[in-house]
Amino acid sequence: MFKKNKIYWFEGVTEKGVKALLNDENSKYRWLRPQRNRRVLVILMAIGLVLTSLGSYWPTLKTNLNLSPDVGVIVYSVSAIFVILAIVGCYSFLRIAVRSIADAPDELLDERQIAVRNTSYRYAYFILCYVLMGLMVLMFFGPELQMFQPEGNDGSYVVIAALFASAALPSMVMAWRERDI
Amino acid sequence: MLFPMSRNPVDPVFNRIEDARLALGLTRQELADEVGVHYQTIGYLEREEYSPSLVLALRIAKSLNQEVSELFSQTPFKKGK
Repeated sequence: MFKKNKIYWFEGVTEKGVKALLNDENSKYRWLRPQRNRRVLVILMAIGLVLTSLGSYWPTLKTNLNLSPDVGVIVYSVSAIFVILAIVGCYSFLRIAVRSIADAPDELLDERQIAVRNTSYRYAYFILCYVLMGLMVLMFFGPELQMFQPEGNDGSYVVIAALFASAALPSMVMAWRERDI
Repeated sequence: MLFPMSRNPVDPVFNRIEDARLALGLTRQELADEVGVHYQTIGYLEREEYSPSLVLALRIAKSLNQEVSELFSQTPFKKGK
């Protein structure tokens, strides 16, 4: 009989999706399992987040590079699309690499996986606090940021990067530190 | 490991799960299915890298037809026992 696929809206996962990843049903993602490959993904994600936050300094960069408005728009658009796709891609692969354990609800995990997930969240929270502290220092002492102002260095990219980081950090921590996933 | 995940790293729990499982001719996957955990969790338990909860210890003991005290100990088991 057809069993309904339960959707966990709050966690952003489905029952079938998590179970398929936990049971190695989809072998095309096996290459993501080795810790070395997972760590490469984490590094790529971190680079993507830094690049996103640097988007805040686009007006300054555009001026320094002496780009014409037309060329500036093209460079900006292509870079933005590339970075966004890279980040979304990395985030999706990260979730697959850790079998969605970082996002799965308790009822789909066993007690060790729950412990691993909870420990990852704990360290992700600490890391996020340090990242936010670093961004705050940057805003105090770095080049002036004007939040959501089209003419100045737009600090909204820093906020977007922080939001992406808060979503991805538990998976990043898990992918980095777990020997077997 | 930088952040050890054991329940209590200074007070490890030793076990004979692997010996008991092999004596019954079970694979890790079969034992995992029986006690309701992921097969990797059985591996972590057998390598003594994870200490189970009391409920899981009881479930494993029942599946392996052993008493909890025969499977788990706070002192290392002697080889061949």
